[in-house]
Amino acid sequence: MIGWLDVPRSWLDSFGEIGRFGLHVAGQVYSGRAFKFFGESVRQAGILIFGSALIIWAFVFILGLQCGLQGAYFNRSIGAPSLAGLFAAYCDLREGLPYAFGYILAAKVGTGIVAEIGAMRIFDEIDALEVMGIQPITFLCATRLLAAWIALPFLYLVGIVIIYGASYFSVVNQVGDVSSGGYLLIFWMYQSPPDLIFSLIKGMVMATVIVLVGCYYGYTATGGPIGVGTATAKSMVFNIVAVHIIGMLGTVVFWGANPRAPIGG
Amino acid sequence: MSRGLLPVKNVFEEVGVMMILTVRTLVSAVKPPYPYGEELVWQFLFVLKLSWFPLVISTFALNFGAPGLQAAGILSLIGGLDRLGGFFVVIAIRWIGPVVTAVVVAGVAGTAITADLGARKIREELDALQVLGVDPVKNLVVPRFLALIVITGLLDIFAIVMGLSAGIAAELLYHQSLGGFFATLFSNATITDLWSSVMVCTMFGAIVAVVCSYKGMSASGGAAGVGRAVNQAVVISLMAVFFFQFVVSSILFATNPELQAVR
Repeated sequence: MIGWLDVPRSWLDSFGEIGRFGLHVAGQVYSGRAFKFFGESVRQAGILIFGSALIIWAFVFILGLQCGLQGAYFNRSIGAPSLAGLFAAYCDLREGLPYAFGYILAAKVGTGIVAEIGAMRIFDEIDALEVMGIQPITFLCATRLLAAWIALPFLYLVGIVIIYGASYFSVVNQVGDVSSGGYLLIFWMYQSPPDLIFSLIKGMVMATVIVLVGCYYGYTATGGPIGVGTATAKSMVFNIVAVHIIGMLGTVVFWGANPRAPIGG
Repeated sequence: MSRGLLPVKNVFEEVGVMMILTVRTLVSAVKPPYPYGEELVWQFLFVLKLSWFPLVISTFALNFGAPGLQAAGILSLIGGLDRLGGFFVVIAIRWIGPVVTAVVVAGVAGTAITADLGARKIREELDALQVLGVDPVKNLVVPRFLALIVITGLLDIFAIVMGLSAGIAAELLYHQSLGGFFATLFSNATITDLWSSVMVCTMFGAIVAVVCSYKGMSASGGAAGVGRAVNQAVVISLMAVFFFQFVVSSILFATNPELQAVR
């Protein structure tokens, strides 16, 4: 039986280790050593696109519907239904999409990496790689990080198109308080290209952390078949909290001092 | 059947088997005898101890960043920061409270349930139980199901409390007195908001419990199999929870016009 404070204590224990491991992996990519296995990176990017893209986009679509619905009804309740575009613009680009991306990435990609690398660790395949003279961290972890950096920005940008379409559908077609032109006028007025860049940065920081945490828990899995399952569960716990904290810090840094809204002088 | 339709067929099959498991769980929960009392208490405490800390951090961070700072920025430009309370009824109580509770419970407790049941399946303990005449659904799934239902409803209250304190923190960050926040909060909040939030959250708990138990009990393929089961369980739970939330809030808003009255 676990105690009440075991979860925060185990995080404090492993936080430094994850940080050191993550810096090591990122250093392998940054110093160009991962490019020795560029073919493997491209293969991993292909797996990301073909295995996860549809699920990521479906999840983003559902959140876009929800953003539009809540925004339409909230703006009706303050007596300004024509301003639903304001809520949708903020919810879609600045907050909703990074969180949706983080959740589904932690669930699909993060735990997938733990299950894959953890099974390799249990079957001693990682030791075999080392015996063959291949750096396992470079070959398994750094290539996955590089693959995420290659593929995920484009999945994110397509996700923006999908979440915008979903919000438009639920505000204009489902609730129908505001006309298409009125919605789009407010919607496009309350966002700017820097917002897009900030949102992309937020999403990519989440993706990087998720891939690194997945690699760490997979690489250090022990204890047979049960160990892989436990490591997968632990990585999900860490990733969920990391996603929320990165989301909050991103909002504070990018929009905390300046709301970047076209109001006033 | 053509190969292109195979994934669709698989999805329908999975959903059907999960429905059957739900009905079996409900039936064996109410039909005597009740051998699962001790396990229920154990699971309840386990889930609570595992998920209270991630829940507190997650709800505070999400409510402080997304509705707190973004809405307070807009409202301070138009000079209506006291309206933040009314906004938090919509966001913290109706939407973020249940959803974040479900995400945290799925990610923390659901993954633990799948890993646990998957390990038992791989070690053939479930088959051994059946040989001994012990029903795995009644003795393993029912206590987890009931524990998750109760605990998601309970944690939802904590999520709402932490969400509202994040709103108060955002209000204090803008040097605003709290009177306006509480005035608009209490004039906008209705009883329907609270009970629908808690009810929806208990249903999320049921979804997460059934999906995670099913995926754990059908794990196969050794060490990689348990990890893969956890992966699929958490993806399916998240998709189901978000889709269910959209359907329920569409119905709730359409059937309760007092939620949209101008106050």
